[in-house]
Amino acid sequence: MLSVNLWNVLWTVINLLILYFLIKKFLFKRVDEVLEKRQLEIEEASKEADMMIEEAKKTKAEYLQRIELADEEKEQILADIKKQGYDEYERIVNDARRKGEQIVTEAKHNAEVENERVKEVYAAQLADMVVEAASKIAATKHSTENDRELYDKFISEAGAKNE
Amino acid sequence: MNIKEVLKELLLEDKTLIHMPFGNGNCDFNKSVVLSWVFILVVFILILIFTHNMKVHNISKRQAAVEGFVIWIRGLAVGMLGEEGKDYATYIVSVLVFLACSNVMGLFGVVPPTMDLNVTIALALVSIIMVEAAGIRSKGVKGWAKAFAQPMAVIAPMNVLELAIRPLSLCMRLFGNILGATVIMELLKHILPVGLPVPFSLYFDIFDGLIQAYVFVFLTSLYIKEAVE
Repeated sequence: MLSVNLWNVLWTVINLLILYFLIKKFLFKRVDEVLEKRQLEIEEASKEADMMIEEAKKTKAEYLQRIELADEEKEQILADIKKQGYDEYERIVNDARRKGEQIVTEAKHNAEVENERVKEVYAAQLADMVVEAASKIAATKHSTENDRELYDKFISEAGAKNE
Repeated sequence: MNIKEVLKELLLEDKTLIHMPFGNGNCDFNKSVVLSWVFILVVFILILIFTHNMKVHNISKRQAAVEGFVIWIRGLAVGMLGEEGKDYATYIVSVLVFLACSNVMGLFGVVPPTMDLNVTIALALVSIIMVEAAGIRSKGVKGWAKAFAQPMAVIAPMNVLELAIRPLSLCMRLFGNILGATVIMELLKHILPVGLPVPFSLYFDIFDGLIQAYVFVFLTSLYIKEAVE
């Protein structure tokens, strides 16, 4: 045992190298591969999660903005509708006013026309009466008394007719 | 049976196991070398069993154990080597496994391979080569050569001497410890072969064996750490 044999030293060195190789290749490498893969997956997963959070935040902001916009839009629409309503009201009232005025004007005009017509009829009757009276006067004997009587009669007849 | 006879039997026994028909006995394989093959084979089979069908997800307890073991033992080696020397962790782990296996061989009733001076010499040689190679690799030949004159030029001869002293102390410490343990165990077995050797075997074969393995790799990594710094 105490005899040192170089060959056996060499064999042991080779044994050690074999063990080194086996441990490196079959133990560490295999385990490292798994560990690395797992590490990679974890990193990827966490990155993905971060990305998703970011995306969710973005979407939330977008929706908030959209809600705000919708509020604004609502106000706008309400205002528009109100304005339209007022315009319509105004228009209707104006129309009504105009129509009323027109009716009044027409009525006035009609009344005037009627009035004219009545006046014409009255004038025609008056002319007839005058003609009649004149013929009567012409037919009867003429005296101041008679004339006065006739005129009075005529006027009272005309007044009665005219009423 | 006295201690002299035990020592004679242990030390002067013919350790050659496989005789080669050539080389005039120089190419023979010692028992220790063959025993190393045996435990290397066992370790290899264990590694194959444990690393068989490794998965990334839904790992088995077996895989969890082997992952934990690898992380732990590498952490141990890197802890001793320091961050700069972590490239040598695999080598340190290999030596640790080699020594741990050889030292506990006594449990199985065989003479531990580390009780053969050839084995410890080989380990010490590889270790000192690793140390110096690590120094050259990290500092370059010039820096490595200059490191002998540090911290001052006066102690340069001491540092050069250390090139021989370090492997010698590594080799002899290991050999002596295992030899002593084995001799004591042999004597105890002769006093009372039943029961009595059990607690001592626990100490000498397991505890002392693992401690010596740890001391060997601890010193080696210390030297490497010093060399790469």
